Amino acid sequence: MFLLSICQWLDSTPLNTLLRQSNWAFPALDTIHTLGIVLVAGTIMLVDFRLLGLGLRSVPIAQLVARIVPATLWGFGLMVVSGGLLFSSEAVKMYHSPAFRIKVTLLALAGVNALIFHRTIYRDVAHWDLQSRAPARARLAGLLSLLFWIAIIAAGRAIAYAPGYDLG
Amino acid sequence: MIFATLLAAFEWLQHTYLAEAIRHSAALIATLESIHLIGMALLIGTILMVDLSLLGHGIGRQPVARIARELRGWTTAGLAIMLASGPLILSSEAIRCYRTPAFWIKMLLLGMAVAFHFTIHRRVTMAEPPVARSSARVVASVSLALWVGVALAGKGIAIFQPTERPLANAHGSVGSRLRDALNYAAVHAERGAVGGRR
Repeated sequence: MFLLSICQWLDSTPLNTLLRQSNWAFPALDTIHTLGIVLVAGTIMLVDFRLLGLGLRSVPIAQLVARIVPATLWGFGLMVVSGGLLFSSEAVKMYHSPAFRIKVTLLALAGVNALIFHRTIYRDVAHWDLQSRAPARARLAGLLSLLFWIAIIAAGRAIAYAPGYDLG
Repeated sequence: MIFATLLAAFEWLQHTYLAEAIRHSAALIATLESIHLIGMALLIGTILMVDLSLLGHGIGRQPVARIARELRGWTTAGLAIMLASGPLILSSEAIRCYRTPAFWIKMLLLGMAVAFHFTIHRRVTMAEPPVARSSARVVASVSLALWVGVALAGKGIAIFQPTERPLANAHGSVGSRLRDALNYAAVHAERGAVGGRR
């Protein structure tokens, strides 16, 4: 299959050999990856709580988003770069891991959710900026985001513990 | 003396029914670690927001005290989630933790971080009128450094191997034990005894 041959090719690159031969590469990347994900989830949760009316209720939403999104993007950058390297150090193994597939799917869904939120209801944030509870559509986006990130963390842990299968 | 008692306590902990059940279930360990990480996201996310405010990068013109007050409950919730899940994870590999310097470094940093958070940090974030900019910066930096240190040491527990010799040598001073632990980490890093999560 196409994806499998990409993974097999990744496992045969010099980068892969480099990552595998180093004693420090995997633990270091794993640490950066965990910190990155904690930063992303931790900052996004604040926005989600605000949208749901569960925290920072007196803070205007646009101000909170403007302050927090750079930190989220930093975390996301760390997470993606370290995650990509971790993946390429054991691509075929990840190909056979259901947890990995679930995690990637959840990441995509979290991304789509954020994109839809920013492209639709958030466009006229000025109208509901100061409400302690955001409109229903924004609350839904916040709730979904919260659930997606909790599930992403759990799927990440499952990659480390769940066995791999022959997924064809 | 005290170390012998401590080791006995860790051995007892690892042999409790709950600890055995956790150790033999990958699903339970993965679930507990996920909960621990979610608590950490909550804790670090809220503390980061407050500390950024102290550093002068707050939300608009919102006073630090207001942000801190509104996030206080969530920080405590994050800490509670971590303190509930952490000991359960610890119990499943108590003896390994006992012999791993990173675990003791984490406990030391955690004690310092919690003590700092509920005393100096709390007083400075709640201060009205706010404290001087320079003091606020120092407090925010110490807070961030301590919590990131706790997180890094936590990762270190999984990365570094336990020592053959218990960290707590009843005859050695605290200084010599710490030296042993650091030497051990250095030697094993060179020898390549550093494992990943799998």
